[in-house]
Amino acid sequence: MSTDVADVLIIGAGASGGVAAKHLAEAGFSVVVLEQGDWVNQSDLPGLRPEYEVLGGGPWHPNPNVRQRPEDYPINLDDSAAVIGMFNGVGGSTVLYASCWCRAKPSDFRVRTLDGVADDWPVSYEELEPFYRQVEYDLGISGQAGNPAYPPGYAPPLPSLPINMAGRVMAQGMNKLGWHWWPGYNSIPSQDHLHQKKCERYGVCMYGCPQGAKGSTDVALFPDALAHGARLETRARVARISLDENGLANGAVYFQDGVEKFQPAKLVLVGANGIGTPRLLLMSESAGHPDGLANSSGLVGKRFMTHPFGTSVGLYEEDLEDWVGPTGEAIESMQFYETDPSRGFVRGSKWHIIPSAGRPLGMINRFTMGEGGVADEPFWGEAFTERMKASVGHLIEWMIMPDDLPEEHNRITLDHEKTDSDGLPGAKVAYVTGENTRKLVDWNLQRSLEAHEAAGATKAWITNRNNPSWHNMGTARMGDDPETSVVNRWGQAHDVPNLYVIDGSQFVTATGVNPTATICALAKRTAAYLVENRREQKVSTA
Amino acid sequence: MSITDVTIQPASAPVLSEEQRARLAVLADLLISGGAGLPSASGAEVPTQWIDRVLAVRADLDATVRAVLELEGDPGEVLAGLRADSPEVFGAFAMAVAGAYLINPRVRRGLGYPGPAPMKNPALPDEAEAYLEGGILDVVVARGPIYRPTPQG
Repeated sequence: MSTDVADVLIIGAGASGGVAAKHLAEAGFSVVVLEQGDWVNQSDLPGLRPEYEVLGGGPWHPNPNVRQRPEDYPINLDDSAAVIGMFNGVGGSTVLYASCWCRAKPSDFRVRTLDGVADDWPVSYEELEPFYRQVEYDLGISGQAGNPAYPPGYAPPLPSLPINMAGRVMAQGMNKLGWHWWPGYNSIPSQDHLHQKKCERYGVCMYGCPQGAKGSTDVALFPDALAHGARLETRARVARISLDENGLANGAVYFQDGVEKFQPAKLVLVGANGIGTPRLLLMSESAGHPDGLANSSGLVGKRFMTHPFGTSVGLYEEDLEDWVGPTGEAIESMQFYETDPSRGFVRGSKWHIIPSAGRPLGMINRFTMGEGGVADEPFWGEAFTERMKASVGHLIEWMIMPDDLPEEHNRITLDHEKTDSDGLPGAKVAYVTGENTRKLVDWNLQRSLEAHEAAGATKAWITNRNNPSWHNMGTARMGDDPETSVVNRWGQAHDVPNLYVIDGSQFVTATGVNPTATICALAKRTAAYLVENRREQKVSTA
Repeated sequence: MSITDVTIQPASAPVLSEEQRARLAVLADLLISGGAGLPSASGAEVPTQWIDRVLAVRADLDATVRAVLELEGDPGEVLAGLRADSPEVFGAFAMAVAGAYLINPRVRRGLGYPGPAPMKNPALPDEAEAYLEGGILDVVVARGPIYRPTPQG
């Protein structure tokens, strides 16, 4: 055995990779992380530049097909109703995410039992709760305890951030209706916390945090992993996971600056997101795994889920000052999260408000794509300045995050025609928005208009029923049965016992909330399992 | 940060010719004519200054803007034609113009922004609590749990 054989190889330095790298390195494992992107230099982030929003529409766009950096791989969306987002670099998509931090709810893990659809997860909320709690500490989650939408005991480690004017105005409207709302949970510290600085509320979270406050894993987690000996190789794009003669994963072949290299390892963890992970498993086909690695179930890449969320806006006379950050949730609502069959669909939605004035260019689409006749009203010409004056600082936007149920025809495959800069196949997404998801979004959007009215909006309308969410899930689902799942309840591949999937690919259903909290909790749980069972774990010795 | 702190970096993209800027001024003013206390696009120096900053960082918009400026004919008809027949081109051109307009510190100030670029707004010590004054959260708590627990068995 070579001396540079890692105890653990982690592929992908995003949310799950950061959680696992920190935990395993601190437990004494030798950890190597391969990341196809690079570190993001805080001074390179666009948020403090006057043209930050223009940059966010180009080199900092969440869609890799728009961004087109060398580390991005092409994603064919010809057959997809959903537009994709992700970021490739240390920190992964947490670099650009809004930092909405949402635990899934107990019912999310029991959708078959409770609602007769899809499948139950092999884990429960209660099993995951301790790991939610641990990653919430590590990532500096701010929030208010006592939310009646969750089981008792949910108390974020840091006090809630201010809900700001927009949150208060809408909260009062929700109270008029008797509807649930709660101060938002954010992976943004309300006070200095570990590696993170107290949020100064620049309001540009989705362009990368310019002050190192946001709980992106490059800021919050990787420093600890590196301090405990983890080695992070950037611009290292993995081409395939290799197997030894016993069928165990023994490392990965990767390209770094155009040179093919091999990183040997005893154990391999994949955290490349719900598109990158199935892409890599499919690229790792071999004689023993002709349909892709760990794919005896045929489910690698299938059951792709995303959150095609809806948005509605209202105009308000009050000066909402909503350029004040953070961009993450001001308030959220779980009023319509749980199933009510009378609505004509199952499952539900979390709503949340994020400030809009930090994205004034976004007003263009809010008006020109607006429903209810808004798109037909003048916007350009003499109307432009009136519209901007009426909306910047005077607009509240609801985001309606729908649960999205798994369907096998929604899938990720390899695109051999569109290749990345190393000649590796791109990913192809086939996605049709399900009828239940469409009904769910439509119904909740109508209710959100009622909320705007109750909050005093002078005018309210729906702006989009199919926003890109960046939430890529379900393509290597977990389950107890190897015939109907790719990994088991620990993320361990049924077919390759020393191969683990640690990202959102494991999701059995999408849940109706932003997935980062659950991704991180699952990764933490897998990492803890590996430490506890290190003596029983099969590893490659080749 | 104040307006005087904004440093305008030289554009790295080739600058527009005077003819192109003149054409851009006409087209941009049709998109942003001014009013409600805010200037027109040319009044906000979009064609003479701020467009350079946009084109410097967005090669895709640079190509579109230059292509649109090459289109001959009545400016209003040019824009109407693009909007009807090439909405993506129209959208990109309009985005470039609006993006340049919204960079102007005077425009930002007119829209109510506290500074020429995103600025820190640190929370006051009791600010989070202040927004919850009046017991607005109490009624939510009083209604009791609204989650479905994990089924037993």
